[in-house]
Amino acid sequence: MKHFYKCLLTVWVLLLAVGLYGQNPNELRLNELLIINTEDFQDDFGVHSAWFEIFNTGYGTVDIGGCYLSNDPDNLKKYTIPRGDVLTKIRPRQHILFWADSKPHRGSFHVNFTLEESEVLILTSGDGTTIIDQVTLPKDLEPNQSYGRAVDGEGTYGVDADNTGWEILPRTSPSTNNFSLDGKSRSDLMKETDPYGWIMALLAMSVVFLALVLLTFVFKGTGKIALNLTQRKADAYGKTRKVSMAETSGEVFAAIATALHMYARENEVHDIETTILTIEQVRRNYSPWSSKGQSMRKTPSARK
Amino acid sequence: MDQIINNLQQFWEYTGFANTTFQHILMICIGIGFIAMGIIKEWEPLLLIPIGFGMIIGNIPLYPGLSVGIYEEGSVLNILHHGVQNGWYPPLIFMGIGAMTDFSSLISNPKLLLIGAAAQFGIFAAYGASLFLGFEPQAAGAIGIIGGADGPTAIFLSSRLAPDLLGAIAVSAYSYMALVPLIQPPIMKLFTTKQERLIKMKPARAVSKTEKIIFPIVGLLLTAFIVPSGLPLLGLLFFGNLLKESGVTRRLAETARGPLIDVVTILIGLTVGVSTQADKFLQVESVLIFGLGAMSFIVATAAGVLFVKVMNLFLKPGNKINPLIGNSGVSAVPDSARVSEIVGLQYDRTNHLLMHAMGPNVAGVIGSAVAAGILLGFLS
Repeated sequence: MKHFYKCLLTVWVLLLAVGLYGQNPNELRLNELLIINTEDFQDDFGVHSAWFEIFNTGYGTVDIGGCYLSNDPDNLKKYTIPRGDVLTKIRPRQHILFWADSKPHRGSFHVNFTLEESEVLILTSGDGTTIIDQVTLPKDLEPNQSYGRAVDGEGTYGVDADNTGWEILPRTSPSTNNFSLDGKSRSDLMKETDPYGWIMALLAMSVVFLALVLLTFVFKGTGKIALNLTQRKADAYGKTRKVSMAETSGEVFAAIATALHMYARENEVHDIETTILTIEQVRRNYSPWSSKGQSMRKTPSARK
Repeated sequence: MDQIINNLQQFWEYTGFANTTFQHILMICIGIGFIAMGIIKEWEPLLLIPIGFGMIIGNIPLYPGLSVGIYEEGSVLNILHHGVQNGWYPPLIFMGIGAMTDFSSLISNPKLLLIGAAAQFGIFAAYGASLFLGFEPQAAGAIGIIGGADGPTAIFLSSRLAPDLLGAIAVSAYSYMALVPLIQPPIMKLFTTKQERLIKMKPARAVSKTEKIIFPIVGLLLTAFIVPSGLPLLGLLFFGNLLKESGVTRRLAETARGPLIDVVTILIGLTVGVSTQADKFLQVESVLIFGLGAMSFIVATAAGVLFVKVMNLFLKPGNKINPLIGNSGVSAVPDSARVSEIVGLQYDRTNHLLMHAMGPNVAGVIGSAVAAGILLGFLS
């Protein structure tokens, strides 16, 4: 039994770990890069430098501070992204831009290497060993041409990343989506395809019915099982007559309970006699928060 | 002297009297009307009194920039309104509803669940009508949910799909919920024959504790897997119910169905009322929303009643359902079930329909939450 509980606890911890995993930098992806910048996006100093973009694929804010960037597989910790900078927090489904100008003194987002002489770009997590994402830099990139994921965040990633999903992009898009939808929201599409709401009514009513029909069937089944169990219990007590709970309504039980209650009140019986059933409302005028007895259901005891 | 006059003038400009418009007075009168309905007629007083008083608070004419109005960032009312805007309050109310609802009638006769599904047709009829009147799909979805007859669900969905219409939608939903005893009986009588109104239903069987415990867990799994977007409402509804039925979390259940739901009801009612500021509320759109809301209630009630009649075609004589419980598929708990009981007793003093009607009534709560999830999934 103890072994079972250990297994259960392990599974629970693992599930929790998976849940937490979703909130950490592993959601980040290298998303786009530009190696030779002569007339593209400028940094805050008005300089055209190589840049690369990181995208948060998750739906929670991720702080990239403490992670590492590098262009050298043998030195994953080449550039440490400073901790404590509020700007290193990447909001859900948003981007962050780094300048590969080898001028780290210009701020958190200027790394200490360039892309021109590099073969690879690597993003490593705060432990310094786990590669979150990496990309092999293309050799045939024209000046001011960017290379990125065709759809933001999609494609291979991590230590086994092989540039699947990456391509030369038709236009550069620093700090914005590489791929944009056609601008129509789901609501707009609904308006076009279903101007009078017939499709919505049909679909939605079908789903509502489906959900409740499923519940109906499940509880019909559960009801039958419950009745069988009750019957078995009754049989176990050696009753000769078949008892059907289906035939005994809640109203009957309510009537029996009321009769007992009234009988008890009329005769002013109390708890002292062991054979008398007393139904009375328990009133607590004190706060249960101050009562230890209320907060502990069972006194803990060591098992031997 | 000039200084004193200037100061007095300035003071006058700050007062409500100087900034009053006809619309403010009208909204204050509507607020007083709500309070009167709550106190004199006792129609949903727990909702109408906070909403009505909130309307008065919200329509005290203010000099802009004092940081006291509900739409001025950082004001107390604005902070309280966050629970409505961001949809925190409705799921908490659902938790309380779950902790106070006994699903026994539903578990003992699961086919009543289908009535709760049928009554949701009012939502989609109002959705279509709203589109026809020129509302955008998102606004139409938020307006349609009024037909679910569920205030928290209406607030939750409109805060997501059409925040600008939230005040009108919430007030409309709660108003019609309060008017359920007036709206539903004529429709119920219109669509039923005298013979049908006299149908006596088989008493519900007793439900075991195990079944009651299984219900919230299985109910959540089935509904939330089908409509994950309804999770905040469905999750907390079934969680509240598990607190009640587990038997070992009595304190938590008592808090959820007592102090917690009371606190949230006060906050939601008051802030919804305050949000109905004249300049945002008194629009042609609001009038249309009220009209569409009435329509959705009527269609939902009719759909529930007619669906029972259709069901009866397939049921054996002893298992027939009284169509007067069809109205309770709209989830105004427990008012619509009470209407079934009252109308049923008008035709047979011994025919108590209340407990039978509670089945579709709570199914309506689940159904409207599922419908809200679908609308959210399609339109957000």
